[in-house]
Amino acid sequence: MATHTIACPFCGLVCDDLGLDQDRVDVRGCAKAAAGFARRPAIVEHRIAGRAVPLDEAAAAAAKLLGGARLPLVSGLAADLAGIRGLIALADRLGAVIDRWQSSAQQANLALQQHAGALTATFGEIANRADVVLLLGADPAARQPRFFERLLRNGGALYRTAPPHVAFIGPAAAAPADPAVSERVFVAEDALLDAVGALAAIGEGQKLAATTTLPLPALSALAERLAAARYGTIVWDIAAFPAAARGAALAILLRLMRQLTRRTRCVGLPLGGEDNAQGAATAMLWQAGWPGRLSFAAGVPQHDPWGNDAERLVAAGEIDALLWVAALTAAAAPKSGVPTVAILAADAPEAAAEVEIRVGIPGIDHGGAMLRADAVVALPLTAARPSGLPSVAAAAAAILAHLPAAS
Amino acid sequence: MITRLTGARVFDPANGVRGEVRDLFIADGRMAAPTDRADRSYDLGGLVVMPGAIDIHSHIAGGKVNLGRLLMSEEHRDELVARGPATRSGSGVATPSIFATGYRYAALGYTAAFEPAMVPSNARATHLETADLPIIDKGAYVMLGNDELLLRLVAAGAEQERINDYVAWMMRATAALGVKTVNPGGISAFKFNARGLAIDERGPQHGVTPRQIVQMLSRAVFELGVPHPLHIHCNNLGVPGNIDTTLATIAAADGFPLHLTHAQFHSYGTEGDRHFSSAAARLAEAVNRNPSISLDVGQIMFGQTVTASGDTMAQYRNRAFASPGKWILMDIECDGGCGLVPFRYRDSNFVNALQWAIGLELFLLIEDPWRVFLTTDHPNGAPFTCYPHLIRLLMDRSFRNDCLAAIHPAAQKATTLGSIAREYTLEEIAIATRAAPARILGLAGRGQLGPGAAADITVYAEDGDRERMFAAPRHVFKAGVEIVHDGAILAAPPGATHVVRPDYDPAIEGVIGAFFEQHMSVGLGHFRLSEGELADAGLSLVAQPCRPRGRA
Repeated sequence: MATHTIACPFCGLVCDDLGLDQDRVDVRGCAKAAAGFARRPAIVEHRIAGRAVPLDEAAAAAAKLLGGARLPLVSGLAADLAGIRGLIALADRLGAVIDRWQSSAQQANLALQQHAGALTATFGEIANRADVVLLLGADPAARQPRFFERLLRNGGALYRTAPPHVAFIGPAAAAPADPAVSERVFVAEDALLDAVGALAAIGEGQKLAATTTLPLPALSALAERLAAARYGTIVWDIAAFPAAARGAALAILLRLMRQLTRRTRCVGLPLGGEDNAQGAATAMLWQAGWPGRLSFAAGVPQHDPWGNDAERLVAAGEIDALLWVAALTAAAAPKSGVPTVAILAADAPEAAAEVEIRVGIPGIDHGGAMLRADAVVALPLTAARPSGLPSVAAAAAAILAHLPAAS
Repeated sequence: MITRLTGARVFDPANGVRGEVRDLFIADGRMAAPTDRADRSYDLGGLVVMPGAIDIHSHIAGGKVNLGRLLMSEEHRDELVARGPATRSGSGVATPSIFATGYRYAALGYTAAFEPAMVPSNARATHLETADLPIIDKGAYVMLGNDELLLRLVAAGAEQERINDYVAWMMRATAALGVKTVNPGGISAFKFNARGLAIDERGPQHGVTPRQIVQMLSRAVFELGVPHPLHIHCNNLGVPGNIDTTLATIAAADGFPLHLTHAQFHSYGTEGDRHFSSAAARLAEAVNRNPSISLDVGQIMFGQTVTASGDTMAQYRNRAFASPGKWILMDIECDGGCGLVPFRYRDSNFVNALQWAIGLELFLLIEDPWRVFLTTDHPNGAPFTCYPHLIRLLMDRSFRNDCLAAIHPAAQKATTLGSIAREYTLEEIAIATRAAPARILGLAGRGQLGPGAAADITVYAEDGDRERMFAAPRHVFKAGVEIVHDGAILAAPPGATHVVRPDYDPAIEGVIGAFFEQHMSVGLGHFRLSEGELADAGLSLVAQPCRPRGRA
């Protein structure tokens, strides 16, 4: 019998019903949580050029390396909220670019909100109301293993008298196996945008000519189901769409949801939120005014979705130093060819970095907070197996303390 | 260390000081009794001293504000704040980044601002964000009245004591200073696809009326001894003719204190060719007659802003006026919602022009400055940076009439504003922006300069142009430390977070716990904030006194 329940930081659901007994975690059958809580420290010392040093010495070397760069990049950002807050402060002070790694799918979702808006809801709302659910592009369980259990097969939904009708539209290879899914409509990846367009067009009463690439009868039936739903919910994994189709697909989905909302309710839920991605976006919003793709190089925050893309900057060789941060994951720094400071979880392999600072995993080694993928609920993380490893926030503060006073 | 401020005219209404020249003494961050010893002295001869100003209603942090920041990307790009020796960089005006928010408030002489619409499920994220808010004190009102559990309790006939326990539990769990209700019942109703809810209309599913919610919540807040009355955003925001709803809401409270927020948006009649008219006189008359009613105005100013509200039902209606044409609506966690709609108020637009006049009518027709608070419902009516302009409109009749002459001609004809002679005095401004907000929020030792009070002090240079005077304080002291000097931020220490902690019968936790266990996506133990985590995030909590008042 678990003595505590704790929250899990290993996907965007941040389930908070895991059991903790002594240092054993009951992961409630979740493979991602099992892998996450099985992580054990391997390297705990901080290093400068391979030589073990105290944290303060490593922080001083990191400050020197980063402070001397013309355009440092702060990326990775797989940290708890306190860590993210500290890293943005550091980027501001350094005049650095700060951006998550491989965040183009997340940025596509955010860009639509910035430029057109959103109709959306939190997990708790969907779990209690959704009666017709469309899953677009990919199996939500691939990102969030307990998605169906927590949101669609949950017992005790307040305002749902029968299980929801759950339909998947997407490639057969990505179809969810979960028994909650009642209908699977197969559409190839390169036809997903057309399928979304057809769904919206049918919803607006247009008659479409027959085509061999789209299952129009099934899409028509789904459009009718959404129109008849009390609380329709469209869930998408925008990363499953071809990159060039994402913006258009999202704009069409918003149009479809707005159309449906004239007569009934319909909300959208973008999948994501791994590695506290939503926390990083939100903290950058509150501290700087934009959800990523930020540069402080000019002494003011500047948002440039293309120019400040971390992957592009590294590929183009535009940076001259890298601060790589991965605590929630054990991800290694990308090959950048520039001097690197790596703030890494203690289970990450040895890094090819000039300065290596080893930190704890939030929710295992130390407490903290993480924002769920729905952007509203922040959950407290418990130190399931407390250790003396510093947090990302402590590492960032130590580096900041070694930078010369701001001018 | 003892600091002495000499020679200034002091306006400290809470202590009956009305512009007399007084010396003030500061020791250890607090106001101190007069003494001969002073380590440091400021000669403030000819200047005006007031307590630091307090904004009772300003959307400065939380999920809704962050969605507003997303929608205001273009404005953020054009309004950049550079990093300084003591300050962080930032951006934005209507939805400024959190550092810019603190610096700008401080530079205007404000030393506290309160987030009025914290959804319970967003409490942790909101407080963690305000841990980054520099200089000014803060706190939040928790939004209740659309939370499914409360509606179910009311529908099931729960007794008032149970509701009181529930409200007290929620306030403690979310570290709140007050209780706000937004379109009571209406946000929940919108989730069931209702598009309107009148005060005596039974809402979908629960069959509960807004009147019942207002009655039970206003009484709960009073009986628990929470200093600030129920802070209410009435039903039918923005709808012509909504004055009837607003007056019915006052009646629904049945004598229990009520604070009507952004009352300008709730003071509309249906007269005239355009079926939109000012009902400010009717509301002012009701407020003048009912000493238990207070309000903040929610003045609009012409220009670009974004409306940010928990009222999804009203914001869905308002989407038609979005400028630029984009909007966000979110249903939240069976306890609330939020809607963001950018607005551009235009003086050439009849409705906007009359809204502007209605707000000013309210300020000028309500007689007791202790019960009318200076707000723009930032950012809904305008960014808080408009306050100096608003103060000039209140203090300077000829300036006001010049501005009136520039708005839509039909709106000029539809308002009595031009005939109102009243001009606010400096003392009245000090009441409406300092003494009265502190009193109605129950902030001990704030909004006044008596011995023992927090040494939060603003020093202005006298200027006949009141906008210029209030836009640029000479000095601002926070907890006795000079943090603003001639517009420059000298230091940015964090302010306090004010909370109240009413008592409750622990039995209520069983009811709430069972509901969370069966229906919610978060466990009760994780929903509730712990003081430890708030302290770890850098927040310092100050619990304000809360004395149960028993059954009335």
